[in-house]
Amino acid sequence: MKLLRITPERCTGCMRCELACSYVQTGMFQPARSVIRVSPFEGHTSYAPYTCAQCAEGWCMTACPVEAITISPVGAKVVVQDQCVGCKLCTIACPYGTMFYNPETHKAFKCDLCGGAPACAAACPTAAIEYVEAEAADWLGRFAAERSPRHIERQAALAEAR
Amino acid sequence: MARRHAIVGGGTAGLNAILTIREHDRGESEITLVSAERPYSRMALPYYLGRSIAESHVFTLTPARMAQLKVHTHIGRRAARLDTAAGRLTLDDGAALDYDDLLIATGSSPVKAPVPGVDLPGVHSFWTLEQARGLVAHIREGSHVVMVGAGFIAFTILNAILALKARLTVVEIAPQILPRMIDRNAAEIVERWLTRHGVAIRTGATLLTIDEANGRKRLRFREGEDLVADVVVMATGIRTNLEWLKGSGVRMNHGVLVDDRLRSSVANVFAAGDVAEGPDLVTGQPALHAIEPTAMEHGRVAGANMAAQDIAYRGSLLMNIVEVCHLDIASFGAWDDPAADAFAAARPERWAYRKLLWRGDRLIGATILGRADDIWTTNDVGMLKGLVQCRGCLGAWKEHLRRNPFDVKPAFVASGATARLLPATILGRPSSPAYQGL
Repeated sequence: MKLLRITPERCTGCMRCELACSYVQTGMFQPARSVIRVSPFEGHTSYAPYTCAQCAEGWCMTACPVEAITISPVGAKVVVQDQCVGCKLCTIACPYGTMFYNPETHKAFKCDLCGGAPACAAACPTAAIEYVEAEAADWLGRFAAERSPRHIERQAALAEAR
Repeated sequence: MARRHAIVGGGTAGLNAILTIREHDRGESEITLVSAERPYSRMALPYYLGRSIAESHVFTLTPARMAQLKVHTHIGRRAARLDTAAGRLTLDDGAALDYDDLLIATGSSPVKAPVPGVDLPGVHSFWTLEQARGLVAHIREGSHVVMVGAGFIAFTILNAILALKARLTVVEIAPQILPRMIDRNAAEIVERWLTRHGVAIRTGATLLTIDEANGRKRLRFREGEDLVADVVVMATGIRTNLEWLKGSGVRMNHGVLVDDRLRSSVANVFAAGDVAEGPDLVTGQPALHAIEPTAMEHGRVAGANMAAQDIAYRGSLLMNIVEVCHLDIASFGAWDDPAADAFAAARPERWAYRKLLWRGDRLIGATILGRADDIWTTNDVGMLKGLVQCRGCLGAWKEHLRRNPFDVKPAFVASGATARLLPATILGRPSSPAYQGL
């Protein structure tokens, strides 16, 4: 199936993906409601977007006690808003931390691949996010591991200074 | 002749076993469900109580769906006796069912603390749909509701009671709220939060009696003032429904002992959910996890094995999450293991708390508190669960997290947790959406 392939080395941290995602998902430009999240690495010298991999198990879907999470025609695990009761079981079941909860509607929400035209990929100016035929993979692990010693050292030094 | 599966219990475990059998055999086998109640989702009951959903929303296996799934049913009947040598199940109306294999999924029942007066009208339990209906009918705006017990089940309905504009007092015999879910420090934060949101809390309170008092209830305690309530809810624990298995030859400890196929000591008898004592993901030891996710996973694995798949279960992970007045409270795994290397940190200004428990450089358990509108909290809840679940080594990240237990995401991403998690599925294949029928 087509999914979001992330190439973190290309990400410039412009946050356009978060803006586009929230606009398509909620009708407003509010990165706080984006289901793709850009994280800084190495003291904000590099960045990488992170979102649901549409994993094979679908931990959110199988955990849902009211069958409110299903698979859409494009293969995304999606929350059926009318069916969701807001129990949050999916947020604890998803081991990737890619479930979200809207405290105003009391419903869970997540990446639904925008129904097959993901706004994040369309908005990304550097093709760090592409919507292509691919297998789900750990796009960020190596990138983050290479950049982690400095993050750990910096935090240790900060702790020392305190 | 078609294989005859008997499913005893129509809760989450039984439901998932049925759906999984049908995913595999598309209707070839005979399935008979024995369920004391019309099958519904217990997790949905608090939302029915709070009137954010209609009663019809709670049902799972409706008659129409059972027909589509080709499931014969004995609804309103209980299993009375199991003869494993003959392969025969006897129901409480005397009917007998012959099976080729059987799933024990009879769940648990609420237990009221043994106090005089707990059986008076107006003293409720909250476990079944029938009991939920009773509470819905009795709680009115301005009612004073006294919740006896401050465990997970009690906490799942605090929001609903407050949504009905009732006044709420929570009393707990232990010195803290949620004694089987979070530690004392976390409990203090939650108690302060609830007090701020108008909930009265009395911990260390031993209830002595409940008496009638002019149509209301008077609760007396070993120490402290009496409480007068319009509605009393007893949320003082649950016990597993095992009595009917006496003399069956099925080996039991706290629950029915099962192996990694969810198979009991009798080869064609499986058990799943609250009644099953199966492998714990963290310790590998038998454990009883009376929680929704375990019932779901047990049911799916048992169903697959009953459908002649050979699926090994890695074990269940203890996890609970509850939101009260927009504060998330979650714990998982060995959250209270006294032998673990543990560290914790609080950010009181954000009502946030983290406790991480380790064996070597593996995370084996965690507790997390944070505001429900805090995306950071919601995402970290999942990632901490993922770190426990994938059993990866965190190396230098452990010391990093000791310094700052709030900086979970870099540790999750850089430790390769995603790569470890992606290939893992419960049934050794991609999951399908809940099977709707033929």
